[in-house]
Amino acid sequence: MFKFLLRRSVGAFVILILISAFTFAMFFAIPQDPALLACGKNCTPQNLAIIHENLGLDKPITAQYWEFMKGVVAGRDFAVGHCDAPCFGVSFNNDQMVWDTIIDRLPLTVSLTVGGLVLFLTLGLGAGMIAARNKGTMIDKTFSSASLVLSSMQIYFLGPIVLGALVYSTGWLSAPKYVPITENPAAWFVGLLIPWFVMSLIFTANYTRMSRSTLIEQMQEDHVRTAKAKGMSERYVFFRYAWRGSLTPIVTILGIDLGALLGGAIVTELTFSLAGVGRLAVDSVLYKDLPLTMGVMLVSAAFILLCNLVVDAVYGFIDPRVRLS
Amino acid sequence: MNPTRSRTLRGALVALAAGSLVLTGCSSGSSGGNKSEESAKDKEAAKAQSAAVEYGDAAASKGPAKAVEGAKEGGTIRVYQEDDFSHLDPGQIYVSDAGQLAGLIHRGLTTYTQAEDGSLTVVGDLATDSGKQSDGGKTWTYTLKDGITDEEGDPITSKDVRHTIERLYAKHITDGPTYIQQWLSGGPGYREALPDGPYEGKHLPDSVLETPDEKTIVFHFETAQPDLPQALAMPGYSVVPEEDDTKAKYDQKPVALGPYKIAEFKPGKSMKLVKNTEWNAETDPARHQYVDGWNITFNHSRADQSERILADRGESANAIQMSGSVDSSKIKQVIEEADDRTIKGYQPYVWQLNMNMDRLKDKKIRDAITYALPNAQILRPDGGSYAGEPAGGLLAPTLPGYEEGYDPYGKLDKPNGDIEKAKQLLKEAGKEGMKLTYAYANVPHRAEQAVIIENALEKAGFDVQKKDIDQATWYEQVGKVKNGLDIYMTGWGQDWPSASTVIPPVYDGDQIADGASNYSHINDKHVNDEIDRISKIQDPEEATKEWVELHKYIVEKVNPAAPLYFTKQLQIYGSNVGGARYSTVKSYIDLTQLYLKK
Repeated sequence: MFKFLLRRSVGAFVILILISAFTFAMFFAIPQDPALLACGKNCTPQNLAIIHENLGLDKPITAQYWEFMKGVVAGRDFAVGHCDAPCFGVSFNNDQMVWDTIIDRLPLTVSLTVGGLVLFLTLGLGAGMIAARNKGTMIDKTFSSASLVLSSMQIYFLGPIVLGALVYSTGWLSAPKYVPITENPAAWFVGLLIPWFVMSLIFTANYTRMSRSTLIEQMQEDHVRTAKAKGMSERYVFFRYAWRGSLTPIVTILGIDLGALLGGAIVTELTFSLAGVGRLAVDSVLYKDLPLTMGVMLVSAAFILLCNLVVDAVYGFIDPRVRLS
Repeated sequence: MNPTRSRTLRGALVALAAGSLVLTGCSSGSSGGNKSEESAKDKEAAKAQSAAVEYGDAAASKGPAKAVEGAKEGGTIRVYQEDDFSHLDPGQIYVSDAGQLAGLIHRGLTTYTQAEDGSLTVVGDLATDSGKQSDGGKTWTYTLKDGITDEEGDPITSKDVRHTIERLYAKHITDGPTYIQQWLSGGPGYREALPDGPYEGKHLPDSVLETPDEKTIVFHFETAQPDLPQALAMPGYSVVPEEDDTKAKYDQKPVALGPYKIAEFKPGKSMKLVKNTEWNAETDPARHQYVDGWNITFNHSRADQSERILADRGESANAIQMSGSVDSSKIKQVIEEADDRTIKGYQPYVWQLNMNMDRLKDKKIRDAITYALPNAQILRPDGGSYAGEPAGGLLAPTLPGYEEGYDPYGKLDKPNGDIEKAKQLLKEAGKEGMKLTYAYANVPHRAEQAVIIENALEKAGFDVQKKDIDQATWYEQVGKVKNGLDIYMTGWGQDWPSASTVIPPVYDGDQIADGASNYSHINDKHVNDEIDRISKIQDPEEATKEWVELHKYIVEKVNPAAPLYFTKQLQIYGSNVGGARYSTVKSYIDLTQLYLKK
């Protein structure tokens, strides 16, 4: 197990290096000058040259990349102060330390992810189980149809409708707002209720369909039939054998979804005017903010790699047939 | 100021990303309300906006500001903003969002007071008056008021004012206005006069900037600068106390001199302002401190801002749009349901179709293009009648000297263009079927405008070759002298209410250079000479008359750019917000007057 984790960690590290180099190269492949955004009204070539110098864009790309990577490991000094490792540099856009900005935005993204996860796993897996246990009945058809409809919805479509109905027209709920859980748990819960609800509706549908189909498949497996033949109760067989067997593909998808959500629920954050890592990712690209782009990309990639690593490790516990080597 | 230049671009970009820039949703004819009545009101307001700015004396510069009728103290105003403020360091502030905030936290030597009818007076803010000129306008003297301190209670002296000006020469200041630096130190190369700013112990010589005592500041210019009081009123020239200056870091944590100070700032997320207890109302002729604070959050798209404030529920009843406008998809609903909670007025921007005079040398061709353009149709993708109106000339309704109805090319009489006249002119020029390279920015509303312009010009007999250019590099591309383009749209607005901030930068032949703003490359001797002459006129009213005459010459005799449309502002505020009025100098809601009703 340890060797497995060590090997995968080294692999993840190499992937992160490659992603950083690729992102850096891609940034400069775009024929746009980030210095223009900081150049005043009469943007003279002299002024532009000063901004290039201030942002460090006057150096060769390889030197810039080396400086960046050095900062990640050992920290760097900037005009606005020292940046401790892991230093992703200073934002071109607002002169803030990128790492601090990401850390500042992360609690919202984690809150969105965790809250949404609890909701869509509970609803999605629950509905999937009920549908699978009642295969072919009206209940199954209802759940299956509902999941089909919901999975074809988009957050940017459903979000404004829910906001209009529950917030702007009736005032039943307050507009989405992030309050740290440490500050006011009740306000945290209420403020994120609508985003969680909308996000979970979309994700629930996928998990309902996924868990239903895998459970039905598992129910037809030999070992399940054997267990039933041994006289075990329907409920015991369902949870002890069929349910456990159906978890592997669900965990796989969950790992991918979790990594993506932690890397920034972009559409959810934009739809509900929330400032998390997802919005940061969008801003970094729109404002041609190289340090921020690098920071967000690497953090997002790290989450995806970490989640995949955890999923691989969990496989061994779910299914003893899987040996981590 | 150029509306899409610099970090104002950020708002547009985010709106695009969020898919909220649905400008086509508000075509002319789709909005509610009585348009002709609205238009008449706008024009009435514009008359005040275009009145010549007066220079106030010591009496006009005394505080406190005239009380707002019915104003109450207390409460927190909620602000929904699309983007974080581009800058907090006043030296870096040029654009509207930070300029609005600056009105609450920063103060400079001069500022504007606005009368009931919207007319403006430049008065002393930190200074005792709007300035005393001598030596034919080449020397300006300012005296600081008593009792001015920063948020820490430290007194402001003339050294702080000198430091404020000198730090603008340093390399970390790249985004703010450069008028005064250029006037003091010989034009665009001003930085050479003090390359490191004041930070290495060097200063501008007394022959340029003098501080004979703790209260007095004297500016010495090589040529007369009659607009200095207005330039000094720009947020970019607000005072930065020498002791508090942290150079580049100042942009994150500035020190307040205004009625409010920053209590908490989470970049990209939120900002909280609280009362600056060191601010002395007796010294301030323009601002109030009615509310206890301001709670600003970012990342609200225009649609979101509009929807929340329109709903008027909970904290939204106390909310305003600070530098955002009603989303075009919500204009109809806002006008129908909450017209009494809106702020309306002309913005200082004029959109024009530049005609590259290096390539289009025959005036008949330029006239043909101008006649052919359907201004009313071109305006529609940019928001329709509540977002602007067709322009007949190149001076905005907000500029002193603006003449309502001025329309030498019949753009108001024939807002859908005069194709027959265009055809005739093109025939006379012997250029039927002439190829025109037309560049446009690759954003949805510009692309829609491109189709309208292409159709009109094709009908007139041109062969239009469209070329889309990335919005982010638009001004860089069209700002090149050898841009390889024939026609392209740009917008320009005044930096203060004077044509001196419009005609010289946009139509002076000396301004033809890469990155400069003479986009049509007009280089007419009469225009150049007149700009030099009028710039030296001391009396603002006389100067205004001369600028207006020169404007007519430019439009009628040279025609370097076809006027397209003026832009308008439409903002909404919550029902519990009192004192709301349109700031004619900022073209947004006037933050200095606001209070909460309960």
